[in-house]
Amino acid sequence: MTKIIVVTSGKGGVGKTTTSASFAVGLANRGFKTAVIDFDIGLRNLDLIMGCERRVVYDFVNVIRGEANLNQALIRDKHNKELYILPASQTRDKDALTLEGVGTVLDELRKTFDYIVCDSPAGIERGAQLAMYYADSAIVVTNPEVSSVRDSDRMLGLLSSKTKRAEEGNGKITEHLLLTRYSPKRVSKGEMLSLEDVNEILAIPLLGVIPESPAVLKASNSGVPVIVDSESDAGQAYADAVARYLGEEVPLRFLEEKSNWLKRIFSFKEKEVV
Amino acid sequence: MSDTALATEHKQCFQLKTSFSPCTILQLTRYDLDELTQQLSAAINKAPNFFIGSPVIIDLDGIKHLGELDFARIKRILIDHNLVPMGVRGGSDEQNQAAVDLGIPKVAAGKAKPVAQEVTDEAPVVQEVISAEPQKLQKAAYSAKLITTPIRSGMQVYAKDTDLIVNAPVSAGAELMADGNIHVYGPLRGRALAGVQGDTQARIFCRTLEAELVAIAGYYLVKEEIQALSLKDAAVQIYLEKEQVKIAKI
Repeated sequence: MTKIIVVTSGKGGVGKTTTSASFAVGLANRGFKTAVIDFDIGLRNLDLIMGCERRVVYDFVNVIRGEANLNQALIRDKHNKELYILPASQTRDKDALTLEGVGTVLDELRKTFDYIVCDSPAGIERGAQLAMYYADSAIVVTNPEVSSVRDSDRMLGLLSSKTKRAEEGNGKITEHLLLTRYSPKRVSKGEMLSLEDVNEILAIPLLGVIPESPAVLKASNSGVPVIVDSESDAGQAYADAVARYLGEEVPLRFLEEKSNWLKRIFSFKEKEVV
Repeated sequence: MSDTALATEHKQCFQLKTSFSPCTILQLTRYDLDELTQQLSAAINKAPNFFIGSPVIIDLDGIKHLGELDFARIKRILIDHNLVPMGVRGGSDEQNQAAVDLGIPKVAAGKAKPVAQEVTDEAPVVQEVISAEPQKLQKAAYSAKLITTPIRSGMQVYAKDTDLIVNAPVSAGAELMADGNIHVYGPLRGRALAGVQGDTQARIFCRTLEAELVAIAGYYLVKEEIQALSLKDAAVQIYLEKEQVKIAKI
């Protein structure tokens, strides 16, 4: 059974596209045939993060309008042959997507793919609603700050009412919380909401916590999803999140201040010296 | 020129406002117009001022099996008694059409309650006069509305004619409304409005009060006022006393 995953948040700039890219790579690395679709028509970004912007010929809107077939538009990832990218159109706007059109494309993809990751645009308008409509599960990307949490909360409300599953009463979409840009240092200073605070408000199962990391920006700029950088904390955290999504039990990491850990070692050494 | 520009240049000539005015429901349980006249006079004589000019909705649910009715005469009887026939409800299609032809529209307001009624010959014609006056609000006939999933920011839940029970968190930016009482067993962080049709006896009960706003029958407290009472971490009830919203620990 193909699973359609929507990566959504409400608020912009929280890491939806970064998450979509890394998650799709993570699933493909596990051997699942995976497609990742950019729903952000007019503000195409996924191709940059995936490093395939020079190979975009046809896009999602072309396929919906019948100007190209799906195989022409799908771009195979450079590194992983199980992974395909369906880019957004940069010249159109979100009205170019139709509910039927999106449904047809997803049905076509269902025939060959195990997972379809839908990268939702920000906001709660048409584009975001189309991205979530056919989903089986949702990854709600949230930053540890109040406005992002409130927007995610609003999104969860829409997920439970404005999706095909909700409308047909065909079981609930499974909801997963992914807390991104988490900085334990700023949490301990009280500048950021803690994991507990966010959990208390949103009250949905936690998929993972991605630490604030320079590796993310570096990865975006070089067009390689951060999960590929297996040395980095963010990359490892994404790999953990994918494992949890697939039902594995993986303990949470990167919730403590790094310096604390180092300090602890040093203080231990100091004690020894004394 | 855009629509918004137009709107600001020309001042709006109307405003749409929602209001809840008292309205009397005349439930006809037996079709005997002579007796109706007589009994209506008797009922009105008891409290003449209360009924003068009162809008009336004629509820035909009890006599919808009867077929044709003389709406011209019913209308005249009501007008003669200083009542204003506003509409009909609950009748058969044929009856509704006959009423519409006479200028009495079919209304959907205040749906008839599904209470089984035995119609006997001894039953008076005017079986019950319900008024939406706050003091005389009819008690809920339905069981309470129960919600067990989280109510998220931007969602609205309204329990019409009844109580609302929420066994889940209510997020900031969500809104609960009920004609009756509201009970919240998860944290209440959104807005809660009880007795929205004017029932001043309605109350809000909750275990964790972190609400943005609470209101009883239109009287409200905002977040600052709620926080000033510093009742965090206590189960509370919120009620109206002398037109003031009170919060007390349970």
